[in-house]
Amino acid sequence: MSVTETPTAYSGARKGEDKSFEGVWDTPTGLRKLSSVSHRVVGRRFIYTGFVFFLIAGVLALMVRTQLIVPGNTFLDLETYNQVFTMHGTLMMFLFAIPILEGFAVYLIPLMLGARDLIFPRLGQFGYYCYLFGGIIVLSSFLFDAAPDGGWFMYVPLSTKAHTPGLSADFWLIGITFAEIASVTAAVELITAILCARAPGMSLTKMPVFAWYILITAFMIAIGFPPLIIGSILLEAERLLALPFFDPMLGGDPLLWQHLFWLFGHPEVYIIFLPAAGMVATMLPTFVGKPLFGYGFAVAAVVTMGFISFGLWAHHMFATGLPILSLSLFSAASSMVAVPTAIQIFCFIATLASGRPRLTVPMLFILGFLSIFVIGGLTGVMLASVPFNWQAHDSYFVVAHLHYVLIGGMVFPLIGAFYYWAPHFTGRMMSERLGRWVFGLMFVGFNATFLLMHLTGLRGMPRRVATYAEGLGWDRLNMLSSIGSYILAAGIALFVFDFFRSRRHGPKAPRNPWGAGTLEWLYPPVAPGFNFHAIPPVESREPLWDQPELLEREAHEVDGVMHGIRDGRRETLGCDPVSGAPLYVLRLPHPTWIPMLAAAGLAILFGATLASAYWVCAVGGVIALAAFTLWAWEPSDSGVTRDAGMGHELPVNVVDKRAHMHVALVGTMLVLMALFASLIFGLLYLWNIRPDAAETVTRPGLVAAAVAVVAGIAVAVFGQFTRRTAVSDRNLGAMALSLLTAAAAVASAGALGLSLMPVDPWASALGATLWATGGFTGIVLFVLLYWALFNAARRLTRRTGPGQSMPDFNLATFAKGSGLMVVVAGAFFIAGAMGGVG
Amino acid sequence: MEPTLDTFAVQDMSNVAGFAAGETLWLTLIMTAGAVAIFIAVMVLVVLAWRGRGGGRTWWIIGGGIVFPVVVMALLFVLSTFVLRSVAAPAAPDHVIEVTGKQFWWNVVYDPEGRALRDANEVVLPLGEPVEIRLKSADVIHSFWVPPIAGKMDMIPGRVNTLTVTATREGRFRGQCAEFCGLSHPLMAFEAVVLPPDEYDAFLADLDREAHDAVTPQERRGAEVFQSSGCVACHRVQGISDARIGPDLTRIGARAALGAGMWEMNTGNLAGWIANVDDMKPGAEMPSYNHLSGPDLRALVAWLESLT
Repeated sequence: MSVTETPTAYSGARKGEDKSFEGVWDTPTGLRKLSSVSHRVVGRRFIYTGFVFFLIAGVLALMVRTQLIVPGNTFLDLETYNQVFTMHGTLMMFLFAIPILEGFAVYLIPLMLGARDLIFPRLGQFGYYCYLFGGIIVLSSFLFDAAPDGGWFMYVPLSTKAHTPGLSADFWLIGITFAEIASVTAAVELITAILCARAPGMSLTKMPVFAWYILITAFMIAIGFPPLIIGSILLEAERLLALPFFDPMLGGDPLLWQHLFWLFGHPEVYIIFLPAAGMVATMLPTFVGKPLFGYGFAVAAVVTMGFISFGLWAHHMFATGLPILSLSLFSAASSMVAVPTAIQIFCFIATLASGRPRLTVPMLFILGFLSIFVIGGLTGVMLASVPFNWQAHDSYFVVAHLHYVLIGGMVFPLIGAFYYWAPHFTGRMMSERLGRWVFGLMFVGFNATFLLMHLTGLRGMPRRVATYAEGLGWDRLNMLSSIGSYILAAGIALFVFDFFRSRRHGPKAPRNPWGAGTLEWLYPPVAPGFNFHAIPPVESREPLWDQPELLEREAHEVDGVMHGIRDGRRETLGCDPVSGAPLYVLRLPHPTWIPMLAAAGLAILFGATLASAYWVCAVGGVIALAAFTLWAWEPSDSGVTRDAGMGHELPVNVVDKRAHMHVALVGTMLVLMALFASLIFGLLYLWNIRPDAAETVTRPGLVAAAVAVVAGIAVAVFGQFTRRTAVSDRNLGAMALSLLTAAAAVASAGALGLSLMPVDPWASALGATLWATGGFTGIVLFVLLYWALFNAARRLTRRTGPGQSMPDFNLATFAKGSGLMVVVAGAFFIAGAMGGVG
Repeated sequence: MEPTLDTFAVQDMSNVAGFAAGETLWLTLIMTAGAVAIFIAVMVLVVLAWRGRGGGRTWWIIGGGIVFPVVVMALLFVLSTFVLRSVAAPAAPDHVIEVTGKQFWWNVVYDPEGRALRDANEVVLPLGEPVEIRLKSADVIHSFWVPPIAGKMDMIPGRVNTLTVTATREGRFRGQCAEFCGLSHPLMAFEAVVLPPDEYDAFLADLDREAHDAVTPQERRGAEVFQSSGCVACHRVQGISDARIGPDLTRIGARAALGAGMWEMNTGNLAGWIANVDDMKPGAEMPSYNHLSGPDLRALVAWLESLT
């Protein structure tokens, strides 16, 4: 396989020009390792950091159980207990469950799909540091004696300034929102990688099932997290600026927070469950020796689950006084989610029956998952029944239910996954003997802790109580639960011990130690810094089983496309999202500090907001913006073609809607649209629920709003023309249209602002939400403006060469999305001005 | 912490004393039996699958994953909807009681649109007569829950939720705030007392009169302390003061519990409460009156205990 050199018309950066393939992919050592962008490094960091948060949250759980071991205990005072249970839930949900699963996805997805890295490695590094810094902000509240104590759900009005003075709620809102950036960026990154960077021939139907689970999960994150991000921003604005979003005295409603929170919170449960179920669906076939039975059913079930999960949120609010009709609808929807769940369970059972199962440690954890999760699912169906829910809601029955679902559905598969994939991290096998003890202790401890809690709840014990009176029938049950929790903790401790023990003393892992069928086992553990010398064409879902040539040769001799390096650059293969046919060569970034710098700038911005040092905020914002600009400014490699081997002559990047940049942009627009839709939901909700208050709001300016609609349309139209010039590669035209788009963006923002001038955001919740909608649209328009000017500047300085029009192509899509938001916002302002909607 | 009610299971949903709780209990039992049966069946299938050879069948997935859950869910939904209708749309209420949640106690007004009889931290219900309980909040979200009588309903600022209950058994039951409401959330309970209708009417009539006059010299001194120490600024005692910031004390001596259902009402606890509210219920608005002299405190307690 020869490397074609066509130096003409190519001016790209030559990073590591005189290095070998291994040298180009080498992970920097020492302190410089922090600048690594490799998905292997970033994925492992997510996993290890997530596990540390898991251990901290676990210790908090043990403190809770110790406090409740006897009635009237004084081990913790009320304030500390409230902080402890709040932080337990917060760390587990936001800083452990989702990040650690995303870590596994970041680590495994490229290896399983035949990619050399994720498509946006720098975004991965950026996300990790956002997560780390956000987590540190949340945890640091303990140092300032301001740990959040309002519950992980932060219900208003308890979490407003009037009832929670001080900084505790701010630590939560700011730290968690910051950390959520990582979830959202990882979601976009995973969507793009799964759709655009697969081995030749890996069509969607030949994708390992784990990739399907992660793809759906990533879409759910992109749509599910925005309501909480918006809710958190509104609540922080209410705390910081006294804007009355949730204040019933000024036309707000405490239930708006609950709607936004559970619009996120319920999909969140499936966001946690699905990747873990994907791990089960990956490990199970290995130990049965047969492919997953009912792959199509499983994929269809996961897609269905993704959709249904957004229609269930109100079952967390059955006791808030919703109308009976709504209750019935949400009750029916909630029980219907049992169908896709049951399909997956039966796929697993049918797989078990297909071959000869081996009772390894990961398999034990799969069986633990099956039994525990089924109980959690069944109690979930019970809770979907409204009359029963009215008794069980906010009692220990729900505590039992949610731990059956989350520990059974996520922690058991996760520990199994550690035993399964540990060779990737340590190069050695963990102990089968100790692993059985870990499983036994965890299984017995878990059930001892939580099975009895169902009864405790039915006997009337509410959740979140730091203490209880004796003699009510809760004493012995609580003591047994507490003892069970210590056994469970012993299991986790033994697992940690086994992990560290195996790092030094475990048997060295051979190549493909479990006899798995998926590509991540092609190379022997410990894997080197790179993934594939050559990317092998894939013919089935289990290539290692069905393509014997893959394991017959040494891994680095396996035949495939993209052999070796060109131009000293890291590269991987870009594919058609559906068929998996090779489409282009993807150039990947090398280690860099810039994403970390951007995250640090944001950390300064968020931290200074907490400290009310607003000029420091500006400094942080400027650092972040400068870092993002540097990030984007690098010269483009697009527009040249390279021989990829096996008869593929591929361009470096393509200007096409199937290109990774465009897929990623569509993913990002999905997030932005969901953020915008959350605000619109807020507007409609307040308008509808408090028509009396809506009447008192000063009306937005009609003429300005109409101008905004026109300007918004102009943004979209200029965007569409930009796309044409991008496709036909016209330099001057693209530059001119960028500037026109920028001008229309400024006009839109100005008109929206003018329209809002008469509205006093401090006087009413609806007014404040109108301003928030305008403000959000304004930020989107600012990004559009910045981007349009950025593109024009690159055109002007001739940084954009022929065939490198992707930024303009993307700007077009972004402009159309922004234009749509302006039109919708403008339409709402017009409706407000005419006093119509409601 | 001493129990204020010595009966086991006074807060147990299966210790049925209300129509809604009764309907819900049998629904719960049916669902529990079904869940256990399904769980066992699935586990048996797992064992059979483990032993079995010859591969899975697609009809397992269609049967077990689609048909079976759809049928079971449909049946359950019908059943649950029937129970919901009977629980949530009952007969027209004979009585109205307004309960307002406050951090961390309950303000109770009987017949709010008529006689507006005020009390606190105890909800008295007439046996066998539907009562509409109007639920409000004065600060944060609370939730009203007496498991033996009915399921819970939230008390949300800016809203009025209603819960219509019919008590089916005489007795004293325990309710507790079920929505996390801040520092002393676990210390926010109350007693629900079910009385025969005639005794209920007598109870209401009794609420409608002024507090007893102080009789003994110590009680008279206590009444003076109540006035001079500032208690009147927050507490209502009918005929003496009409402040509504703290709980109504007109019949405090008749209540079985102190501090919103938390401690047994006796001289020691009451004196301890007045002197050390901060310790007994952190976050309560009432300041600790630990500056009262011993005799003043004893006189105040004696007078309060005489208010029945």
